[in-house]
Formats: sequence, structure tokens, C-alpha cells
Amino acid sequence: MSELSDHSDTSFAPGDEGEHDVGARVLGYVIGLALALLLTATSFFVAGTTLVWQPSIPVALIVLAIAQMGVHLVFFLHITTGPDNTNNVLALAFGLFIVFLVVGGSVWIMSHLNQNMPPMDQIMRMQ
Amino acid sequence: MLGKLTWSAIPFDQPIPLVAGGVVIVALLAVLIWVVVKGHLPYLWREWITSVDHKRIGVMYVLLASVMFLRGGSDAILMRIQQAIAYQSQGYLPPEHYNQIFSAHGTIMIFFVAMPFVIGLMNLVVPLQLGVRDVAFPTLNSVGFWLTATGALLVNLSLVIGEFARTGWLAFPPLSGLVYSPGVGVDYYAWSLQISGVGTLVAGINLVTTVLKLRTRGMNYLRMPMFCWTTLASSLLMVAAFPILTATLAMLLLDRYLGFHFFTNEAGGNVMIFMNLIWAWGHPEVYILVLPAFGIFSEVVSTFSGKPLFGYRSMVLATMAICVISFMVWLHHFFTMGAGPDVNAIFGIASMIIAIPTGVKIYNWLFTMYGGRIRFTTPMLWSVGFMVTFIIGGLTGVLVAVPPADFILHNSMFLVAHFHNVIIGGVLFGAFAGFTYWFPKAFGFRLDERWGKAAFWCTFIGFYVTFIPLYAAGMLGMTRRMQHYDVAVWRPWMIVAVIGMAILTMAVVCQVVQLVVSIRNRESLRDRTGDPWDGRSLEWATSSPPPVFNFAISPDVRGEDAYWEMKAKARQQQFAHAQPEYQDIEMPRNSPTGFVCAFFASIMGFALIWHIWWMVILGLIGAWATFVVFAWRDHDEYVIPAADVARIDRANIEERRNLVSLAGSV
Ligand code: HEM
Ligand SMILES: [Cu+2]
Repeated sequence: MSELSDHSDTSFAPGDEGEHDVGARVLGYVIGLALALLLTATSFFVAGTTLVWQPSIPVALIVLAIAQMGVHLVFFLHITTGPDNTNNVLALAFGLFIVFLVVGGSVWIMSHLNQNMPPMDQIMRMQ
Repeated sequence: MLGKLTWSAIPFDQPIPLVAGGVVIVALLAVLIWVVVKGHLPYLWREWITSVDHKRIGVMYVLLASVMFLRGGSDAILMRIQQAIAYQSQGYLPPEHYNQIFSAHGTIMIFFVAMPFVIGLMNLVVPLQLGVRDVAFPTLNSVGFWLTATGALLVNLSLVIGEFARTGWLAFPPLSGLVYSPGVGVDYYAWSLQISGVGTLVAGINLVTTVLKLRTRGMNYLRMPMFCWTTLASSLLMVAAFPILTATLAMLLLDRYLGFHFFTNEAGGNVMIFMNLIWAWGHPEVYILVLPAFGIFSEVVSTFSGKPLFGYRSMVLATMAICVISFMVWLHHFFTMGAGPDVNAIFGIASMIIAIPTGVKIYNWLFTMYGGRIRFTTPMLWSVGFMVTFIIGGLTGVLVAVPPADFILHNSMFLVAHFHNVIIGGVLFGAFAGFTYWFPKAFGFRLDERWGKAAFWCTFIGFYVTFIPLYAAGMLGMTRRMQHYDVAVWRPWMIVAVIGMAILTMAVVCQVVQLVVSIRNRESLRDRTGDPWDGRSLEWATSSPPPVFNFAISPDVRGEDAYWEMKAKARQQQFAHAQPEYQDIEMPRNSPTGFVCAFFASIMGFALIWHIWWMVILGLIGAWATFVVFAWRDHDEYVIPAADVARIDRANIEERRNLVSLAGSV
């Protein structure tokens, strides 16, 4: 059915671009793999280290995780900003937006759940 | 060897489920034997079970939904009768049975009636409206359908082997935890939703991709029929929301199977997060259901008013606005959980805002009708009935979205009336409108109008007689899900409601009779042109039923209402169009992948429910192997030669020409 879709728009599915030669593509994957491994190793290192200020560890892990997602999107899922990628970028934006709404909303809701409860010491005194 | 499964799982002491189950099994066996003896099995296998044709799969979805509708409807009758007689008495249903019935009713109606019905219609119609030959992933489509069927099978199995959940259709912990629900009921519930949830996700991905990537020449976004837009919005919601349901149920299952404590307060978990997550799926879910219905009404109203849809662009905008806002309101289902005034106020306001795009749609439909030459056919009746009914449901929705009001109405019969008001008046009316509207496209003959109208009026009147009393009972303080009660003022309303239920039952009978009568009279109801309603979009440009490849020549779209313009042009040119050049068409081969996958998934689901671990592994390996075999296949397409295409297409063109010249309306 590809002869139909050619007319409607020109964007490709991730990994379906086809125009690069094999060597360039393999190189892309190798770079991606190396970066992904590097980020993973760093995460493991950071998690166990005593060299840095301890409260910064969770923040560092979050940053590394987000970088990891970026590497996957660019090198393995081939998200680019080119005009042939509009659908993919829009889909990603939609996904991020929903994740933001659901996660952000849940955190906000859950952190307010005890609003209508008397403070803990009051409960203790009542017993 | 068989895990928890013993003879005591079969409820020999409970006559109702046993007899009901027995009757169903006998009926199934009878149908099966008839099919085998008559030699229809090879035909069914080749043309339906292994079919990857979106039209066939769409029809099977709708068939599944219709059968499950009878099951869910029987539950409803049982419950209404119970509440009519259980005043200061136990009624005829013991509590543990009553609880299973309302849980099964909700689960079935949402997941196995409303969902497959709208997904089926989208499957059937959207590729035709887009002018293409199939959905983006035909085999995956079949997998999705069969997994949904697996879920339905497991739910029905619980009737005779074991029990169903007694927790309500959303299985809130701690009630659904092991402590309060040690039986297999919740496991039946959770595994059937997990398996059918995969099917729904797959269907969503497929439809999104189809709309985004497979449109015929010239069909740009702002020329798509409204139904394609609402399909896009609804499927985007499926893709975004169903993973939340899957994750939430997975956590519940981990709690139940492996002793996790996501939802045990005493062990550091939090039951509230279940409520939060399940509704983060649950509210988008109601829009997954109702958006396609909005699309159906848009098509029906503009066709039978003989006018283009009023405010097409505002309609597109409203659809996409609903799609996004529906992810910002979920807390309105648990205002009373105690998140405090700030959170409640924000979510309350967001919930009211969602009524605005919905209102825009209502006005657009009204203005589409205004000044049109309206034909009150059955689909049009459903649409007008919808507008009236849905406005009432929307208004009570906005009412319960006001937090102080909701503190009084939450979990009352008022709430029950609200959501039946929107789901019956919106989704079900939409499904029936779509059913009668597109039936001729799928089968090549129209449905009987007299019985169709009778079905509409019985549903319409029956709905009000059943559910207005529930609003009243709710305001008198009656809570939902009561097995018996002692308050005298509620009684009369329950009795009126059961009368309404009787009228609704008549409506279902009318639907069945309509189908039988129409099949009998199919020759006189035959649709030879492919365009029985004087339609406007591309599905009417091909024959009824369409050939496997839908369109001999991919249509070339020049504006909104593509087919309407083609017809206008053809009339001007006195049908003197040039002989088109036909080409070979490649179509995807049929594949048993979906059916086999679902077969193993059923085994796996059943084994998981009963803790039969060797069988779980068997099912898992089977499903995996099926997938691998499919992934390694070589031939996935076959060719229909140009000559065949030409023959089929010319026959259809000839029919159309004859009919138009017979009518003399050129
Ligand atoms: C204007 C639009 C709507 C608003 C403002 C609205 C608001 C609400 C609110 C606030 C509740 C929770 C009430 C409570 O639990 O106390 C509710 C429940 C519900 N609504 Fe709506 N609603 C709207 C439209 C719809 C639509 C279109 C559907 C379905 C197609 C729907 C289906 C439901 C269902 C199923 C429930 C109850 C679920 C349960 O507790 O079991 N609503 N609605
Ligand atoms: Cu809601």
C-alpha cells in the first residue's frame, strides 16, 4: 500500500528511512550503543559512590536517565527534527505531554491527600 | 497438577449461574455442531477466522459486542428485579451473587460491549472513508480482535468455573486484595482485562497509524470525514491511556500473586494511588468510547440533512480539545478522597471546561440540521434521540463535577443515572446509529426500517423510564450497589425502573427481530449501488459489500465531502468518464496468527487464574512461537490481477448507471 501513502505525506516510520548506506547506519548504531553503555555504567558508578555529595545522587541519576532516553530516541528510534519526521516528533510531544500530565497530576494529588486529616499529633491525643 | 482448580469450583449449589451457563454451553455446542455438520467450517476458517480484511474484522468485533450485550443486559435485568423486590427482604439474589452480577455487568458493558462495538465500526469504516485498501497493520488487527475475544471468553468462563469479582467494575483495593477477596474472582477480572487490554492497545496503534499514514491521494487532514478525526482522537487516547490500566492492574496482580504491597497501607503501600491511577485511565476511557460516537452522529446528521457538516473546522478543534482535556479531569471521580479544596477546585473547573467543546458539537449538529431536508431514517432517529438525551447526561455530569455537590451525590444512584445517561444516550445510541447506517455497506442490504424505528422508540422511552427514577432515588439518598434496603420512599422508584427495564428488553427483542426480518427480506432491501443513503464520504463510492481491495482505483480527493463532489461532477458529465486503467493489486494474505495467539493466550490466562504453572508456561511458549513463526514468514501478500479488478469494478459501475437512469434523476 506504500504507493498510496507516498502521495499523502512524506514522513517515514522510525528506522525506515532507507536512503543511507549500510556503513553509515551501522556506525550510527555503534555510537548509540557506546553512549548508552557509557551512561549505564556512569549510573551504576554514581549510585554506589561516596565521592560526591550524597543528596545530589538522585538528581544525577535522573539526569543520566533522561540523557539515556535521548540517546535511544536519536540513535535507535531515529527521531530527527527534519521535515520527514513531523509525525514522529508530534507523537513524541504528545506522549511527553500526557506523561507530564499524569505523573505531575498524580504527584500533586497524592501529596495533598491528607489535607482534610487532622495533624498526626492531634490524632494521637484523641486516642 | 491443576493448581487451585477442583470440582468445588463448579457452582453445583447455585442454580442460576449453572442453568445460565448450561444453556449457553448447549447453544454454543449446537452452533458448533451445526457448523461442522453443514461443512461451513472451512469457509469460516478461510473467510473469517483467519481473515485480515479490516471489514471482516470490524464485523466480528461488532458481533462480539452484540453477543456480550445480551449477556450484560441479562445481568441488568437480574439487578433491576432484585432491587424492585428486595425492600425489607433479601430478594432472590444472595449478596455474594448480587455483587458478582454488578461487577460483571460493568466490566462487560464497558470492555466487551462498548469498546468492541466502537472499535469494530472504526475498523469497518475508517479505511473506506480514507479511500485506502486496508489498515496499516492487517495481521496485528486480527491479533487485536482475537485477544479481545479471549478476554470475553474468560469473563464468561467465570460463570461456570469459579466465580467473578465482587468488587465492582474497577476492583478497588483493599477490597480486591487477597485479604478480602481470596477467591479467583478478581483474578478472572484482572487477567481478562490484561489480555483484552493488549488487544485494545494494538487496535489503537493500528488506527492511529492508519489515519496518519494511509490516506488516499488528496485526502489531507482537513478533508477527512469527521468520523476519521474522532477515530484519530479516540485511538490516541487508547494508546496513551491503556498502558496506565495495564500498569495499575499489573501492580494489583503483583500484590495478589507475589505478595507485593503497592496497595497495602499497613505495609507501606497506599490504596489511594490505585484510585488515582485507575481513574487516570478511566476518564480518558469514557471519551475513548464517546468520541467515535460523536463522529458517527456527525456523519449521520450531515447525510440525512443533505448538507455538509456545519462548522467542520470547529468540530475538528473541539474533538482534539476533548482529546487533550480528557486527560486533565480524572480527579473528579474521587473528590471525596480528601485532596483538599485546591486540588478539588482545579479539577472541578477542568471538568466543567470539557463541557464547552461538547456544547460546540451539539450546536454544530443542530445547525447542520437547520435548513436541511431532513430524512428521519433509523440512524437519524438515534442521532436526534442522542442529542436530547446526552444534553441531560452532560448537565448532570457538570453537576457532579461541582465538588460540594459531589460530596452529596458521590456513589449514589444519581451518579449511576448520570453515567448511564451519557453511556447509553451517547455511546450506545451512537453504536446503533452506526450499525443501521453502515449495515448496508457491510452486507449489501438495508435493515428493516419499521423494526429499526420500533427498537429506537423502545430504547428511548425505556431509557427514561429506567433512569430518571434512579436520579430521583439518588437524591433521596439511595447509594449504588445495594443488595437490599429498608427505606420505603425508594421503593416506588425501583418499581418504575423495573418497568423501564421491561421496555428496554422489548427494544432488544425489536433489534433481534429487525435483523431476522431484514435477512429474510434481503432481496427487496438489496443495495445495488453501494450508496443507499445518498452519502457524502468515500465509503459510499464503492460497492456494498465492497470488494476485498475496497477501491479498484484509488480515489482522488479534491475537497471535503469527497464522494458528494464526485457525484455532482459525474452528473454534470452524464457519466461519460474515461475508461480507467486498472492495475494489479497486492493484498495481505490471510493469517491464523491472531487466532492461534489468542488460543494460547486463553490457555495462559486460564492457567494464571487457577495457578496451574506448567500450563502458564505452555501458553506463553505457544503464543511466543506463533509470533516468531509469523515474523519469519516469507509470503505475506498475494496479487489480484488487473483483469479481475476491472471485471468487478465494471459490474458495479454498470449497476450504478442502471439505477440512476431507472430513477431518471440524472
Ligand atoms: C460534560 C461532561 C461530563 C462531566 C462533567 C462528567 C462528570 C463526572 C463526574 C464528576 C463523575 C464522578 C461522580 C462521582 O463519582 O461522584 C462522573 C462519573 C462517571 N462518568 Fe461522567 N462526566 C461527563 C461526561 C461523561 C461521559 C461522556 C461519559 C461516558 C461516555 C461519562 C461516564 C462516566 C462514568 C462511567 C462515571 C462513573 C464511574 C464509576 O464511578 O463507576 N461521563 N462523571
Ligand atoms: Cu470522568
